[in-house]
Amino acid sequence: MLGKASARGLVGLLLVALPVSLVGWLVIWPIISAVQRTVWRASPDGAGHFDLSSYVFFFSDAYSLNNLSLTLWTTSVCAALLLVVSLPIALYLRFARGRLASYVQALAILPMFVPSVILAYALIRVLGPNGLIDLLLNAAGLPKLRTPYLTPWGPVIGLVWDNIPLTVLILLSGLGAVGNSAIEAARDVGANRRQRLWHIILPQITTSILVALSFAVLGIFSAFTLPYLLGPASPEMMGPYMQRTFRDLNDPVGAVTQAVVTFGFCIVFGLFYVRSVARNQGK
Amino acid sequence: MATLSIHAVSKIFAGDTAAVDAVSLEIADGELVCLLGPSGSGKSTLLRMVGGFEQPTVGSIAIDGQDVTRLPPEQRPTGMVFQSHALWSHMNVFNNLAFGLKLRRRPKGEIRDRVEAVLDLVGLKGYDRRMTHELSGGQQQRVALARSLILEPKILLLDEPFASLDQHLRERLREEVRDIQLRLKITTLFVTHGQDEALSMADRIVVMRNGRTEQTDRPEVVYRNPLTPFVAGFIGTMNFIEGKVETGRFRHADFAVDLPVADGPVTLAVRPEALDLVPADGVRQATVNRVTDFGTHGLVDLSLSDGTRIKSLVRRPGPFHPGQGVGLKPRAFAAFRDTVKLYGAIDAEPADQH
Amino acid sequence: MTHRTTRPQPLDVPGILLALALSIVIVLPLLVVGVWAFTEIWRYPHVFPQQFGLRFWAQTLGRPDVWHALRLSLTLATVVTLASAIICLPAAYAFARMRFPGRDILFFSFLAGHAFPRFGLLMAIAAIFLQLDLIGTFWGVALIQLVNTLMFMIWIPVAAFQTVDRRMEEAARDVGAGPFRVFRSITLPQAASTIAAALLLTFVGTFYETEGAWLIGAPGIRTMPVLMISFINNQMVIQFGAVLSVMLWVPSFIALMFARKVIGGNAFAKGFGG
Repeated sequence: MLGKASARGLVGLLLVALPVSLVGWLVIWPIISAVQRTVWRASPDGAGHFDLSSYVFFFSDAYSLNNLSLTLWTTSVCAALLLVVSLPIALYLRFARGRLASYVQALAILPMFVPSVILAYALIRVLGPNGLIDLLLNAAGLPKLRTPYLTPWGPVIGLVWDNIPLTVLILLSGLGAVGNSAIEAARDVGANRRQRLWHIILPQITTSILVALSFAVLGIFSAFTLPYLLGPASPEMMGPYMQRTFRDLNDPVGAVTQAVVTFGFCIVFGLFYVRSVARNQGK
Repeated sequence: MATLSIHAVSKIFAGDTAAVDAVSLEIADGELVCLLGPSGSGKSTLLRMVGGFEQPTVGSIAIDGQDVTRLPPEQRPTGMVFQSHALWSHMNVFNNLAFGLKLRRRPKGEIRDRVEAVLDLVGLKGYDRRMTHELSGGQQQRVALARSLILEPKILLLDEPFASLDQHLRERLREEVRDIQLRLKITTLFVTHGQDEALSMADRIVVMRNGRTEQTDRPEVVYRNPLTPFVAGFIGTMNFIEGKVETGRFRHADFAVDLPVADGPVTLAVRPEALDLVPADGVRQATVNRVTDFGTHGLVDLSLSDGTRIKSLVRRPGPFHPGQGVGLKPRAFAAFRDTVKLYGAIDAEPADQH
Repeated sequence: MTHRTTRPQPLDVPGILLALALSIVIVLPLLVVGVWAFTEIWRYPHVFPQQFGLRFWAQTLGRPDVWHALRLSLTLATVVTLASAIICLPAAYAFARMRFPGRDILFFSFLAGHAFPRFGLLMAIAAIFLQLDLIGTFWGVALIQLVNTLMFMIWIPVAAFQTVDRRMEEAARDVGAGPFRVFRSITLPQAASTIAAALLLTFVGTFYETEGAWLIGAPGIRTMPVLMISFINNQMVIQFGAVLSVMLWVPSFIALMFARKVIGGNAFAKGFGG
């Protein structure tokens, strides 16, 4: 019988072997190798040596630092905006019923199904030069606004737009765990709307907020398509910068160094996010 | 037809807790035996071992004298009805019933006839095209019963089949199941944690606790002559009064009664219907807390001076009121010491005096 | 009959404001793309297009690079979806139903990719593909798609297999079905709709995946999104982009709505750690 059980275990291991080894090869190995190849150079004589020069270059190069700070600025502005936009939507959806609520929900989820290339194209047509906003302002006899297209605000608008659905869904799922009875009990003891939000609801969805923020930060920090199409050419965000270093400047070590730098800045959010997903699944 | 014999079967799960501990049981042809016990008593595990869903750690199971211990479920002549019906929701009623026959490659005509016959048997004629979610809870459970009967198993296994149904439906279904079982004379093992179900359906009841059998007997014997305090307390309502025997007399702070057993501590077990209440005669033996009138009878809730709560079933609750002192007169009782029965049967007709 | 006085419902002001704001912010840009696709002339400062027509559909569909990219994207999405299914479904079943040493840690290893910013990870992979000469090849692009699809195609089917009631499978064993037959006749049909949704998501996700395709594939391998990027970058005829967007997006949108219905919003959010 013991033989039979271990045979079944072997079959299980065999069935999962292929995807697990693919994860090993496509995720874990590249990360290890990325760190290794940026700190360890092969000498001409065959022996390797420790070498941090690519990091020294990155952190002393004004252009790289500009790109990094633009990325940090974009990420924090996006995260703040996302929370400001998504929390009211999620709160509304948690407590509202009916057709209007379904409509709001459908619209809040819609961006999930819009590929970022199409989004970039649409935003250019609306916000870009001679776009819809320009047309409307002109028709109303108002002065032109400076277009956010090709400024740091372009990617911010696109990234917030793109990340609304998952932020709302994650917050909504957290709000789902806040019992109606807890809120009714608070009403019963005389808490008003603001007090209920502040003392009852928010403390119970802190984790969800952090998860939503971590997810957004991970996505935004190294975003490529939207900053590449909507953002300024210089300074640029880490995504386009890495891509350019790799493809146009033909400098894989430089690009991988930049990648490892993004890992470093996101590691806390990444670990937190993964831990909460794992916990959720464990339940 | 078929007999089932379970011989010294144990099941030890990881972490070496014995879910079933050396249980033996012989079930005669056409007999319906109930496994009765609280949750965690091992009754479901025992049933699942008979069905082949769990492997006994030791022991053997034989059907008609043939050892089936190592056979997988699909090769055993058993049919099981699961707790939450476990109908295949992607198939309609006909396909649920026909699946087993199709596996056996029976001709189409035969499958049709047998499905029709079994639906007729469970009172669901004409329901064969319904999807399972279009049926009510009781109908779903009937289809589940039909699904296990259609293959004409030697042994029918039922795992708390009515647990998810409401009280009224449960009572009706258990009568139907018992009728069908008697008509088909099919050997049946039935798991339940409801004593009503066991008492009303079973030829014999196996009371289980912590993986062991406490008592195996006919329903009336289990009720009237429990062999352990657990069985006494688990089936029906039972009053337990702790006391001491001295020179042939049971003594409690409040009252005493003759009990011809050796001296020592004793637990007296008295059914409410065997405990008569008499006027206090100056000596208050118990105090009335509450009186409930059920129409056909009354239930008097009493307490002794040491805080023990007991109940007495009386014909007419009229004369009793809270705070009143009464005397106790047990007509029939049993006595246990350290889970061993020392004396008596608690068999008693309901009181007809007063 | 009791007479009910109809009291006017209190106006749902926050709901109306949100609906209005979202309609403008979310729907308007997409609507503009839709209008552009059917516009022949729309010059500043006219608020509405001056001339509608299908001329640019004919032009877009006449371009060989569009057809080439479409064929390539469809092939890529099909290959990646099939490969993910073959690789992941047996593993998902094993994770859901079997006990084997290291099961939990292996299961959660699929999360590893999510602990890192995605484009950074893609860059690290690209550096390895560079040494393997996979840059600019179809298989390089196909492999990098697996980074995205693996976790999806493991986790959703695992959840699907786990929700299949074990007793349904036992009931099938009971009436005489062997383990493989149980899988084919009970487990798989029960989990089918969710798995179909996962396959659909994988297909659509791969079809539109931009970053990996751009990083690994360009310029040799031009999928639809890569083509779109060059249309936008090169400031070609505006309508080309609009026509491509409408043509490609509408069918996949319908498919995705279907998928979401099957999986359910909650499970969806849960998969993302909500």
